[in-house]
Amino acid sequence: MGDRGADTDTDMVGMTGRVTGTVGPGLVGEVIVRIRGGAEHFLAHPVAGTGRLAVGTVVTVVEHLPPRTVYVMAAYDN
Amino acid sequence: MAIGVVAGIVLAAIVALIGLFKLMWRVAEPNEALVISGSTHKTEGLGQGMGFRIVTGRGTLVLPGVQAVRKLSLDLNETQLSVDCVTHQGIPLRVKGVVIFKVGDDLVSIANAARRFLDQQKMMPERVHIVFAGHLRSIVGGLTVEDMIRDREKLTGQTRMACGTEMEKLGLIVDSLQIHEIEDPTGYIKNLAMPHAAAVQRDARIAQAEANRLATEAEQAAFARMAEATRDSEILQAGYQAERDKAAATARQAGPLSEAAARQEVVVQETRVAELEAHRREQQLQADVRKPADAAAYETRTRAEAERDARISAAQAKARETELAAAAEATRVTTAATADAQAVEARGIASAKATRATGEAEAAATQARGLAEAESAKAKGLAEAEAIKARAAALAENQEAVVAQQLAENWPAIVEAGAGAFGNVEHMVLLNGAEGMSEMFAKALTMGGTGLGVARQLLASMGQAPAPGTPSPAAPPVNGRIPIREE
Repeated sequence: MGDRGADTDTDMVGMTGRVTGTVGPGLVGEVIVRIRGGAEHFLAHPVAGTGRLAVGTVVTVVEHLPPRTVYVMAAYDN
Repeated sequence: MAIGVVAGIVLAAIVALIGLFKLMWRVAEPNEALVISGSTHKTEGLGQGMGFRIVTGRGTLVLPGVQAVRKLSLDLNETQLSVDCVTHQGIPLRVKGVVIFKVGDDLVSIANAARRFLDQQKMMPERVHIVFAGHLRSIVGGLTVEDMIRDREKLTGQTRMACGTEMEKLGLIVDSLQIHEIEDPTGYIKNLAMPHAAAVQRDARIAQAEANRLATEAEQAAFARMAEATRDSEILQAGYQAERDKAAATARQAGPLSEAAARQEVVVQETRVAELEAHRREQQLQADVRKPADAAAYETRTRAEAERDARISAAQAKARETELAAAAEATRVTTAATADAQAVEARGIASAKATRATGEAEAAATQARGLAEAESAKAKGLAEAEAIKARAAALAENQEAVVAQQLAENWPAIVEAGAGAFGNVEHMVLLNGAEGMSEMFAKALTMGGTGLGVARQLLASMGQAPAPGTPSPAAPPVNGRIPIREE
């Protein structure tokens, strides 16, 4: 039980979420991810080499920087 | 007793345990996090140096007096924003909005927030307002009014960029940033909108006018159609009404018509019956009357003919008979006539002879008588002539005497004539008695005397005539005859 909080960080990686604010280079985007029995939004940045992700794009969390920043990439690369 | 005490002690112990447990057991409600500090716990996943324990969504055992338990609300908070700012173009604006935020649900955020706000939870909106006011000024300063109005994505993106990391530091997350109102003291937005508004208004008016025109056209067309439809409907209705009336009239007439037809049929049949009756009657009459009449007539005619023939025959027979009879009669008459003629001749001859003899005898007798009479008449005449001659001589000698004698001879007649004047008098009243009577007679007689005087004068006048035998044409024959008849 006590390890849950430590697990949470690693758990975030690999989750899928949806873009609710455009993610792109030079922008602070927003994604919403299912987590902790609910849905929370995180500030999102694109991983390197990923272009602009429009609202509604399904993304995968690649990196989680606590507390609320994630790096994402498009889940379906065309 | 002891049991009761034991039971009471046990009960008390149980109650004490429950109370103790109640004191030690704390439960985190869904909208809060328990921050437990005091004893050196093993920290849950937050690594070293944290020094406190965070519990969310479950219960935990706390040692009263050893550990301090504080609650951090995870509820939503809001901050009203009212920020005077200047846009990129240097236009002053007053932006009014609301920020809705909460403490993040992850342990890091809770830990950050707990460290910053655990005793200042009431002041959290104020702090957030300050943060946001500054950031909003910088954000608006980097935007134009047009951007703010039109590109909300840009605004939110900028806001996220400016505030997101800031809030991350505070362990807060912004659920929503709403810009309610942008007050524009210089009327920039209004003026910005004005050409568009005018154009829009123009377009609206044009559209309105067009729409009105179209609507009016459509309405008028619809009215015309309605009128047309009404007219058609009324025409149709009138037609149907006419048909209905016609049908009704026909139906109304159907009764009388059929009745009339039936009556006509009846009349026809009655006529037929009457004709048949008449025919029958005629036939019957033919049979009853005409045939008998014909028969009678025939009989009569036949009889008459027979009679006529009989009569003709009879007449012929009679004629023949008459002819024969006539012939016989003629023969007989001829014979008789001949006989008669001969008889008449003979008788005539005889009669003639007799007549002649008679005639001769009578002639002789008449001659003889005539002669005798002639002789006597001659003698008488002569005698009379003598008398007259004598009288005439006497008259010539003495007229007065003759007259007197004549008077005397005729006196009774004269007196009678005079008395005749009184004969017609029924009642005569003589006023002077017998003397009057005689006077009366005397006068009457005097009249006779007067007549005598007249006679005398006549005689005197005639006395001059030489022929005494022919005195007056009246008197002498009277005078002459009276004496003869007197004699």
